[in-house]
Amino acid sequence: MTEKLTLVSHVDAINWNRIQDEKDVEVWNRLTANFWLPEKVPLSGDVQSWATLTPEEQTLTMRVFTGLTLLDTIQGTVGAVSLIPDALTPHEEAVYTNIAFMESVHAKSYSSIFSTLCSTPEIDAAFRWSTENQNLQRKAQIVLDYYHGDDPLKRKVASTLLESFLFYSGFYLPMYWSSRAKLTNTADLIRLIIRDEAVHGYYIGYKFQKGLEAESEARREELKDYTFSLLYDLYENEVQYTHDLYDPLGMAEDVKKFLHYNANKALMNLGYEALFPSTVTDVSPAILSALSPNADENHDFFSGSGSSYVIGKHEETTDDDWDF
Amino acid sequence: MIDAPRTGMDYHSLNAMLNLYDTEGNIQFDKDREAAREYFLQHVNQNTVFFHSLKERLDYLVEKKYYEPEVLAQYDFTFIQALTERAYSKKFRFPTFLGAFKYYTSYTLKTFDGKRYLERYEDRVVMVALTLAAGDEGLATALVDEIVSGRFQPATPTFLNAGKAQRGEFVSCFLLRIEDNMESIGRSINSALQLSKRGGGVALSLSNIREAGAPIKHIENQSSGIIPVMKLLEDSFTYANQLGARQGAGAVYLSAHHPDIMKFLDTKRENADEKIRIKTLSLGVVVPDITFELARKNEEMYLFSPYDVERVYGVPFGDISISEKYHEMVDDARIRKTKISARQFFQTVAELQFESGYPYVVFEDTVNNANPVAGRINMSNLCSEILQVNTPSTFNEDLTYEEIGKDISCNLGSMNIATAMDGGDLEKTVEIAVRGLTAVSTQSAIDAVPSIRYGNDRAHAIGLGQMNLHGYLGRERIHYGSEEGVDFTNIYFYTVLFHAIAASNTIAKEQGTAFEGFENSKYASGEFFDKYTDQEWVPATARVAALFEDAGIAIPTQEDWRELKAKVQEHGIFNQNLQAVPPTGSISYINNSTSSIHPIASRIEIRKEGKLGRVYYPAPFMDNENLEYFQDAYEIGPEKIIDTYAAATQHVDQGLSLTLFFKDTATTRDINKAQIYAWRKGIKTIYYIRIRQLALEGTEVDGCVSCML
Repeated sequence: MTEKLTLVSHVDAINWNRIQDEKDVEVWNRLTANFWLPEKVPLSGDVQSWATLTPEEQTLTMRVFTGLTLLDTIQGTVGAVSLIPDALTPHEEAVYTNIAFMESVHAKSYSSIFSTLCSTPEIDAAFRWSTENQNLQRKAQIVLDYYHGDDPLKRKVASTLLESFLFYSGFYLPMYWSSRAKLTNTADLIRLIIRDEAVHGYYIGYKFQKGLEAESEARREELKDYTFSLLYDLYENEVQYTHDLYDPLGMAEDVKKFLHYNANKALMNLGYEALFPSTVTDVSPAILSALSPNADENHDFFSGSGSSYVIGKHEETTDDDWDF
Repeated sequence: MIDAPRTGMDYHSLNAMLNLYDTEGNIQFDKDREAAREYFLQHVNQNTVFFHSLKERLDYLVEKKYYEPEVLAQYDFTFIQALTERAYSKKFRFPTFLGAFKYYTSYTLKTFDGKRYLERYEDRVVMVALTLAAGDEGLATALVDEIVSGRFQPATPTFLNAGKAQRGEFVSCFLLRIEDNMESIGRSINSALQLSKRGGGVALSLSNIREAGAPIKHIENQSSGIIPVMKLLEDSFTYANQLGARQGAGAVYLSAHHPDIMKFLDTKRENADEKIRIKTLSLGVVVPDITFELARKNEEMYLFSPYDVERVYGVPFGDISISEKYHEMVDDARIRKTKISARQFFQTVAELQFESGYPYVVFEDTVNNANPVAGRINMSNLCSEILQVNTPSTFNEDLTYEEIGKDISCNLGSMNIATAMDGGDLEKTVEIAVRGLTAVSTQSAIDAVPSIRYGNDRAHAIGLGQMNLHGYLGRERIHYGSEEGVDFTNIYFYTVLFHAIAASNTIAKEQGTAFEGFENSKYASGEFFDKYTDQEWVPATARVAALFEDAGIAIPTQEDWRELKAKVQEHGIFNQNLQAVPPTGSISYINNSTSSIHPIASRIEIRKEGKLGRVYYPAPFMDNENLEYFQDAYEIGPEKIIDTYAAATQHVDQGLSLTLFFKDTATTRDINKAQIYAWRKGIKTIYYIRIRQLALEGTEVDGCVSCML
């Protein structure tokens, strides 16, 4: 890429004591409290479980994760960064830097999974597949094109669709495994990623709606048409991609329902009505329940770290607290 | 295993619907019952080996080396047949999917290839009863009655292993001291491996080990301290597991006044370096009263070199009462010391608990003041409910024992409070439970770790636990932690204690022997009984009095206690320790209970483990009508939990696993305040701290039960 990077032209010192949009603080606090690194998840606990998967299942799992790695890499190095120049508030800029960083953490997490479970030639083969799979590459290209476009609101649409929709064809599989008692530590790690992506998609969608408020009626119409046509493009490609991945195991139909469900979710984040009727979004309850981003599961502490701890707020005790 | 072809939904999906509201906003309890039913139709029945008769079945299982012939040989076949029929006649059914799924996944006997089931629930119960009763037909019958009715549930290692030819040990928990020398450290790692291989969690005390930078052979700055020992232990536990049934699990305890205490805590930091990060080992700190006093005055707390302390006092650091010797040690120039802010220490503990749930906390002086047995308690176990005395071992150069010390093991089992109350004969239920647990002790001989065997042979310690308190209270429409709720807890534990001591006294009389050291205990001196003979214990509320009266359960009087005291002083008691209330994970699902005496963590609990995946569990006795009595632990808050535990603690000789639950709006200060409150209320230990973060508004899954308050 030879094009010149656009940077914010003017910067004032950020003052967190003057807040224009409370949502910025709320999301910032949530994201920082949710900070995590892949090293905390005892992935090695999945080595035995990995060995019980058939070679086809192993290949599928690795391909799914290389696909996710690509998306997270895009979002970390281009997507979230490209949103910074259009930010409405300085605090929004700060939130994007956090998002960008965590996306890079996500991208690295998949490598942790690979290096724990698979051999180097297998890893290389999976990455080769990801660069050769046309649907995956097309998906990446569509999104990248919009990030390089010059319409800030369209960038937000593309980003929200990526965070809230495109990831989920991949997320389906670890959720499916964990509901079958396989790769449960890997699923914990993925659930941490889902926890983050859910907030990212929600926030960028929210900022899109904020931006929309300042636009003319005609322009709003244009953006809505644009959103739906982009979604159709991505959806068609996503269906192909899903078949490529999941057909060998006959799971494509259920994954497609999951795509519909999340496409609706993405539209909701952008403030639009659902596209798919409930008859085609009836995802298996086992997957849906596994998705819940709440930190409330009761795990067996001795075999996993769970996906529920957060970094706490420090507060010193006072003399009154110690008055006994 | 292969499931039968199905027409409707699979059982995992049905079970997951528990976590999704129906169109009217009701919780779909019926879907879970359907899941349990489908699980049997689609899976269990298809994969269970069929036998024409009990005789054929037992012969086959013995011949193929699935069952221990010695267990069956103690009985006539006709008795075994009658007992099996008795068990089946109770028409046991798993009320929840998770109960059935957990049982068949983790407990029942399977063919060696893991593909078919060889036992149903009743068969397992019969084998457990036959094993523990050791030829006593009356006891075997009583155990079957108590277990099938759900009144008594042996702990996982016993329930899982009893009667199987290829098995681990029956004992739940082991506690080992480590002394400040390489022989002891090496021996401990070996013991950790051996005990993990046989099942059961292992806890080790690191308090005696010299700190980083301490001298070795008088050469300064040589020791690497405790962190490398922790690393070795963590890897040992990961390596050893009990035939794949359970991953090895361990905990380490350290005194708050050990110089490495901050490094110890930092191993659980989110951003700790890989070389020092501890992922799966559990941590606990032992905190004496003096630390609270120093924090109250906002002073510095001194940390003392265990190496120097042992040289000055001639005993290991862990065997010293820090509260008693604190000022003396501060003034002693021979003891190297460093200092940190006491309040900063407590705040760091709270920070780590936020991030990781650890460390557990043992209130050292509370524990020792309440200990009826001679000796000192300096650590707890993996679940922080075992509190027993220990003594050090010494080793020869070839790692053989020069002197065998006493290390700790504990056999656990829990009563289901609801079914025990419904049974109406608490005296019998407690007696059978105590006999069952004692049998585990007398049948155990863990020679791989001589100090464990030595301790068990002399102490016969058991830990009778309780579970389903919240389920029972909810069913009776009493709020957890309310005046009536705390009142019930007090009187229930008071009554159980009486019967437990009485049962242990009966066994001592039968055996003609008490535990070693009985004569130096507060039971023998009679001091233990003062609070029951000098003071009247009766329900404070009419509701609780009515609950006991309606159940036909008598509450022991002061006169009853005087009689019991006389009997105990004459014959002693057989078990050095009697009660300990464990957290009850798996067995409470099988037994259809709420865990321990905790409030429920969620109305629909999401359970995740390696072997199960993600499964959903409804609180027992909860329906769409009585939901208000099933508030979850985060709503109930720490104070009511502590009040409930304090009511129980005063009647329990060991400890109770007490988890505190906070919303994510809490700060480290809230955790510190709860710790101070717990310590003041006489709580002995704190187990996990759990934080619940709800999904950010707008990102939750629609219609999900566990997402809503």
